[in-house]
Amino acid sequence: MKTESNVMYVVRLAGTLLLIAAIVAALLAGVNMVTAPIIEQLNYEKTQAAINAVLPGGGEEIAFTDDTGMVAKVYKSEKGYAVQVQPAGFDGTIDMMVGIDHEGKILGISIISHTETAGLGAVAAAKTSAGENFRGQFVGESGSVGTAKRGTGTLDAITGATITSEAVCTGVNAALDCVANLG
Amino acid sequence: MNFKKQFMEGLLTKNPVTVQLLGMCSTLAITTSLFNGLGMGLAVTIITICSNVLISALRKVIPNQIRIAAYITIIAGFVTIVDLCLQAFLPDLAASLGVFIPLIVVNCMVLGRAEGFASKNGVLASAVDGLCQGIGYTVALVITCIIRELLGSGTFGGGLLNNGEGIRIIPEGIPAMQMVMPVGGFLVLGCVIAGSQWLMKYLNNKKAKEGAK
Repeated sequence: MKTESNVMYVVRLAGTLLLIAAIVAALLAGVNMVTAPIIEQLNYEKTQAAINAVLPGGGEEIAFTDDTGMVAKVYKSEKGYAVQVQPAGFDGTIDMMVGIDHEGKILGISIISHTETAGLGAVAAAKTSAGENFRGQFVGESGSVGTAKRGTGTLDAITGATITSEAVCTGVNAALDCVANLG
Repeated sequence: MNFKKQFMEGLLTKNPVTVQLLGMCSTLAITTSLFNGLGMGLAVTIITICSNVLISALRKVIPNQIRIAAYITIIAGFVTIVDLCLQAFLPDLAASLGVFIPLIVVNCMVLGRAEGFASKNGVLASAVDGLCQGIGYTVALVITCIIRELLGSGTFGGGLLNNGEGIRIIPEGIPAMQMVMPVGGFLVLGCVIAGSQWLMKYLNNKKAKEGAK
């Protein structure tokens, strides 16, 4: 084979692949244009719903200081604060909202998204009675929380999901610290 | 083209999960509730049909030396489209399946059909093949899901029926949590594979007996 034809051959290979990639990219761009606003809207609604669940009426976003690196956003209203924290769970990050009143007592917690094990860690976010019971324990707590199982506090961990339960506590503690620092 | 033969191959004799043992990762990971199994099965079916059709249409254009790269590019494109559509229109399912939707790109079943069938056959036959293999994959997943969910959580139709809690069949406390964990996945999948092998032997014997008569 001559050198020239070799070059042409390689160019043809690369050209075909480039063409396929370009067509796929164009298709993706089209789909993304349709779905991106919908996904953004859904995420926004999800966050707003989580804020409302822990701080009825919602609140304004405010500036904050955070030493833990887990606090994402803080919202304030006359009822208290809603703190968005992202502690590391058993498998990936748990994105959650913690409502805290002006006395430093927890109003409620709500989990926005997570990738915990289905049937175990996922119970923490589930709309089942076990999930409601787990999240309900936090209401009224203050200062610092932990699970009885790990000896860090008095709360009941979810059966078979000690790490997830402890992670939620870590997130709640970060939120409590953050609000305490706000004064 | 023989639709009946392709259908039987997809469903039983060349089932992607129980015979070809492809796509094991997703099979083991997501078969914890009926909703997940159906959703994953449908997503993979749609992607297999789309990628089969496009790859079959382009089979004479794609040079042999770069075919795998071209297939993966096409499959990845369809997977991302399905992923975005799920996030936008079925957020519950997207949250439930999580990272396993993007991972369909490396589900060997889709690439296996592209390389093994679509690259050698016509567009229509490839579409039918994608559909049949997808149905086989979905059926295997759903059977595994039903067994694991019943033994592990004690419910039927989790994520789908009864406000997503599923219909409780075994009272709480009795089901073995291990069945929805990875170990349960391996146990149940092994039994499902054994069951499908038995069914194939049974059907073959019946055929042979009828033939002898």
